Amino acid sequence: MPGILTYLWRLFPGNPILLRVVAMGSKRTRDLIIRCIYLGALVVIVLVSLAGVGSSAGNDLAKLSDASTKIFQTLSYLQLAFVALLAPIFTAGAISQEKDSQTYDVLLATPLTNAQIVFGSLFSRLFFVFALLLSGVPIFSITQIFGGVAFGDVVQSVTIALVTALFTGSLAVAIATFKIGTRQTIFSFYLFNVAYLVGIYLLAQLPQMRIPRVGPDGGPIGGLGGPPGISWLAAFHPLLALQVVLEPLKFTPPTASQLSPTLSRWPISWALTNPVGFFISLSTFLSIVLVLPSVVLLRRIAQSSTTFINGIFRKLKIARNSSTRTPREVWNNPIAWREGSTNASAARSVFIRYGFILIGIAAAGMLIVAHSTEAGTPARFIDAGSFDPLNNTLLLRGTGGTTLMVDDATSVRILRDEFDANGNRLWQVAGRGELNRRFEIANVATQTRGTVQYARSIDLTEIPRQVSTTSARRFLLGLVLLQAVAILLIITNAAASTVTREKEDGTLDLLLCTPITSRYYMWGKVRGLISYVLPLIVVPVASCGLFIAMDALRFIKSEITGNDFVVRPEAIILLPPLLIVVAAFAAITGIYLSLALRTTVLAVMSSVGIVLGVCGGLAWCGWGMLGNSSNPIALALGSFSPFTVISMLIAPESLNTALINPAESAAMRGTIFVTTAVAIAAYAGGLYYAYISMVKNFDMTIRKQSR
Amino acid sequence: MTLVIKTVNLTKRYGSLVALSNLNLEVEEGDCFGFIGPNGAGKSTTMKILATLLQPTWGEARVCDFVVGYQSRQIRPLIGYVPDYFGAYEDMVVREYLEFFAAAYNIHGTARNKVVDDVLQLTDLSYKHDSPVDGLSRGMKQRLSIARTLLHDPKLLLLDEPAGNLDPRARIELRELLKTLRTIGKTILISSHILPELQDMCNKVGIIEQGELKYAGPWTDIVRKARTGKIINVGVAHNATSAAALLAQDAAVVSAVVKEHFIEVTLHEVADDFSFLAAKLIAGGYKLTLFREEEVNLETAFMRLTKGMVQ
Repeated sequence: MPGILTYLWRLFPGNPILLRVVAMGSKRTRDLIIRCIYLGALVVIVLVSLAGVGSSAGNDLAKLSDASTKIFQTLSYLQLAFVALLAPIFTAGAISQEKDSQTYDVLLATPLTNAQIVFGSLFSRLFFVFALLLSGVPIFSITQIFGGVAFGDVVQSVTIALVTALFTGSLAVAIATFKIGTRQTIFSFYLFNVAYLVGIYLLAQLPQMRIPRVGPDGGPIGGLGGPPGISWLAAFHPLLALQVVLEPLKFTPPTASQLSPTLSRWPISWALTNPVGFFISLSTFLSIVLVLPSVVLLRRIAQSSTTFINGIFRKLKIARNSSTRTPREVWNNPIAWREGSTNASAARSVFIRYGFILIGIAAAGMLIVAHSTEAGTPARFIDAGSFDPLNNTLLLRGTGGTTLMVDDATSVRILRDEFDANGNRLWQVAGRGELNRRFEIANVATQTRGTVQYARSIDLTEIPRQVSTTSARRFLLGLVLLQAVAILLIITNAAASTVTREKEDGTLDLLLCTPITSRYYMWGKVRGLISYVLPLIVVPVASCGLFIAMDALRFIKSEITGNDFVVRPEAIILLPPLLIVVAAFAAITGIYLSLALRTTVLAVMSSVGIVLGVCGGLAWCGWGMLGNSSNPIALALGSFSPFTVISMLIAPESLNTALINPAESAAMRGTIFVTTAVAIAAYAGGLYYAYISMVKNFDMTIRKQSR
Repeated sequence: MTLVIKTVNLTKRYGSLVALSNLNLEVEEGDCFGFIGPNGAGKSTTMKILATLLQPTWGEARVCDFVVGYQSRQIRPLIGYVPDYFGAYEDMVVREYLEFFAAAYNIHGTARNKVVDDVLQLTDLSYKHDSPVDGLSRGMKQRLSIARTLLHDPKLLLLDEPAGNLDPRARIELRELLKTLRTIGKTILISSHILPELQDMCNKVGIIEQGELKYAGPWTDIVRKARTGKIINVGVAHNATSAAALLAQDAAVVSAVVKEHFIEVTLHEVADDFSFLAAKLIAGGYKLTLFREEEVNLETAFMRLTKGMVQ
C-alpha cells in the first residue's frame, strides 16, 4: 500500500488505540447496558407514543402524521441530551486515563505519531457515542412511516448530535492534553459544558437576542410587538439549531432579504439565514482547530515538567508546589481542615471562588442598575401627583400636557410585556390607585362632554427601562439558575473526589489507622465541604437580596406595589435554606459515591449524573406541572423541585402567567411558602437520615474495599 | 515476656484466594521481627490486619492483647503503620502533614508543636519543614512516613517494605533510624526483600509463603535449620573433576560437586574437622586455590526453605 494510504490507514481505521478500545468496548458489560438503556428508551418512547396516539387518532392519517412529528421531536431532543451528557464522560477520560494508568510514557515511546495517539484516543471514545447514534437511526426512521418527518430532518438531527459529540470530544482532548490529572480534566470540562449549554440557551430566550428583521420597505418587523423569531445564537448552540430543524414554523430563520445591510455580509448572513448548516460547519471546523494543538504539542507537553496552565500560574506566582511555603495552622478537626482550608486556600481555588463571587455580584449589580434606569423620558406619562382623587382629575405629563376627568366609566389597563400564543399583548385591569404611580401612557381614549374632556380608557405601560421588569426577572432567573448549577457542580466534584482522592493517594489507609472514628471522619468531610461552598451560596442569595432591597425602598416610597417586586421578598427567607439543602444533597451523594466507588473518575461522573439528573428531572416535572396548572396541588408538588421554587420566586410568569394574577397572588404565594418550607424540612430530614446511614456503614464499605 | 502481637490460626480469604492460612505468630515486646516472603506471600495482608485495616476471615489477631476487629479502637493509638506506598496529600508542606496526623491522634496545642519538632529532629527533616510533601525525594518521604508514625509514641511499628526503591544512602540512613528506634524500646514488625539488612537489624524473622508461616524465630535458628550439612568450597588449580572424585571417596563426605570455579563438598553434620580434605588433596598432588566453609546466611536460608511459589 502506498505510504500515504498506510499512514491514513493507521491514523484512523487501523489505529492500534482505536482498535484496542473498540474491541474491548464490544465486550464490556457496562457498554452493553448503556446501549440497551438508550435504545430501550427510544423504543419505549416510540411504542408508548404510538399506542397512545393510535387509539385516539383512529384512521386519521393527519393526526398520525402529527404524532410522528412529535415523537421524532422527542427522540431528537433526547438523543441530543444523551450525547451532550455522554460525550464528555467518554472522551475526557481518554488521555488522562493513559496518564493515570502510567501507560502514557510507554505509549509516547512507541513509533505511534502524535496524530495517531490523539485521533486514536478521540475516535476510540467517540466510537461508542457514534455507534449509539447510528444504532438509533432505524428507530428514528420508524417515525417516517406515518409521514410528517422528512428523511432530511432525520439526517440533520443525527448530524447535529454527531458534530456536538465531535466538538465536545475535541474540546475534552484539548483540555486533557494541557492538564494533568483526570479529576481536573473531568470537572473543568463539565463546568464549561454546562455553562455553555445552559447559559447560551437561557440567553437566547431573551427578546433582545432575536435576529432583527427588516421588511420590504427597510423598516423593522418582529420585535416586542410581533411574533417570536429565532435567536442569532442558534448558529452556535446545538439545541437551538435542533429547534430550527424540528420546529421550523416556530423558529424560522430570516431570509437574506430580511436582513439589514449590516447583517447581510458573509459569514454573518450565512449564520443567520442557515443556522443549522453554519452550526454543523463551525463545529467541525472548531473540532479540527481544537485537536491540532494537541497533535502538534503532545510530546512537547509531555516532556515539560509542568502543564501549560501551571506554567501560566507560575508566571503569575500562584502555582502550587513552589519550593517552600509557610505552614498553615491545622484545625483541631484535621479532616474538616483538609476539606475546607486546603481546598479553599489553594491559590487557584481562591481565584475561582472569589472570581465567582465577584462576577456574580457584579452581574446582579449591573442588572439592578440597568433595571433602575429608564430608557428615556416618555412622550406622555403619569406619576405621583398626577391623579387628584378629590377632584377626579388626571394630569397627563410630558409633551402637550393635558388634564382629563376620570369617572366610574373610565377603564384603566396596564399592558404587560408578554404575548399570548396569537401574538396579542397581555394586560390586566388596574384601579385608580395606579394613576398615581409612574407609567407611560400607551393609549388614551377621551370623550368630550360639554367643555370637559373625560378619559374613557387609559392604557398604561411601565416606562421602558434599559432592562424591563420582565426581562430583569428572566435575566436574574437565568443568572441564579446558572450559579446554582455551578455551585452544584463544584460541591459535587469536591464531595465525589473527597474519599476517592484519599484512596488513590494512599492516605485513606493512614487515616484509618488513627483513632479517628467514622463519625468524626464523615462530619469532618461534611463540615469542610460546607465551609468551602457557603461563600458561593451567598452569591445567588445576595443577587436576589439586592433586588429585594431595592424594590423594598421603592415600595416604601409607593413607587411600586407588592406585586411589582422583581424578586418576591419571601425569597430571602426561602432561598438560603433551599440552596443549602440542595448543596447538602449534592455533597451527600458525592461523598456516598466517593465511599462506594474506587476511582475518582467514576465517582465524579456518577455523582454529577445523579445530581444533575435528579435536580433536572424534578425541575422538568415542576416546570411542566406548573406550566399546565396553577392550582394548589400543582404549587405544592412544584415546591418539591428546587429549581422550580427558584423560578416561582423570581420569574413566576415564566412558568405560568396565572401565577402573577394579583387576585390570587397572596394565596398562591402563601401556598408556595408553606409547601416549600415543608419540602425543605422533608429533604433535610431525608439527608440527615442518609448521612447517619453512611456513618453507620462506613467501616463496612471502606474496609471491604481494602486489599 | 509480654507479647505485643499474637495471632492464632489467622486466616484471610478473598473469595477462592487464600491470602493467609492459619498463621500463628508471636512477637514479643522489644523484638525487631523481620517478615520475609516472596511477592504475594501474605506479608502486607498480615500487616493490614494488625493495622486494623482488614478483618480476618477467621482466627484471631491480637495487638497488645486487644483483639483486632472487636477492639480496633483501642489498638489504633498503640500502632504506627507505614504502608509500602507513600500516601501524600496534595498541597501540604511537611509540617502541615505532621500536624494533620498529630491532630488525628488528638494531639493539640503546644504538645502538638513540640512533638512535631521532636520527630522532625529525630528523622532529620527539620530543614524541610516548609517544603511541599510531594516535592521530597523518596528517602525523605520514607523518613517522613516514619516520623508520622512516631507522633503518638506507639508501642508497635508496622513497616511494610520501608526500604523498597530507596537508594543505598537512603537505605543505610533508614536502617540506622530503625536501630535507634529499637534502642528506645519500640517493637518493630518489618517486611523487606533486602535480607542482609534484616539480618543486621532484626533479632527474629518469620518466613511466609503462600499465606503460610513456614518458619519463625531467631534468625540464627532459621539459618541453622537451612543448613543441610557443612559445606566446604574447595578450589584446585587443575583437574577439579578428579579431585572431586577423590574427595567423594571419603566416608565423611556426603557429596563433592564440581561448580564453575570450585568444588562444593558437603560433609555430614557431625563432622567438626574438615582439615583432612586439604590434606587429602595435597597428598594427591593437587594445588589448592580456595578452601573455605560456606556461610549459610539468611538469603541462603530463605532460598533453601522456600519454593519461590506465589499466589
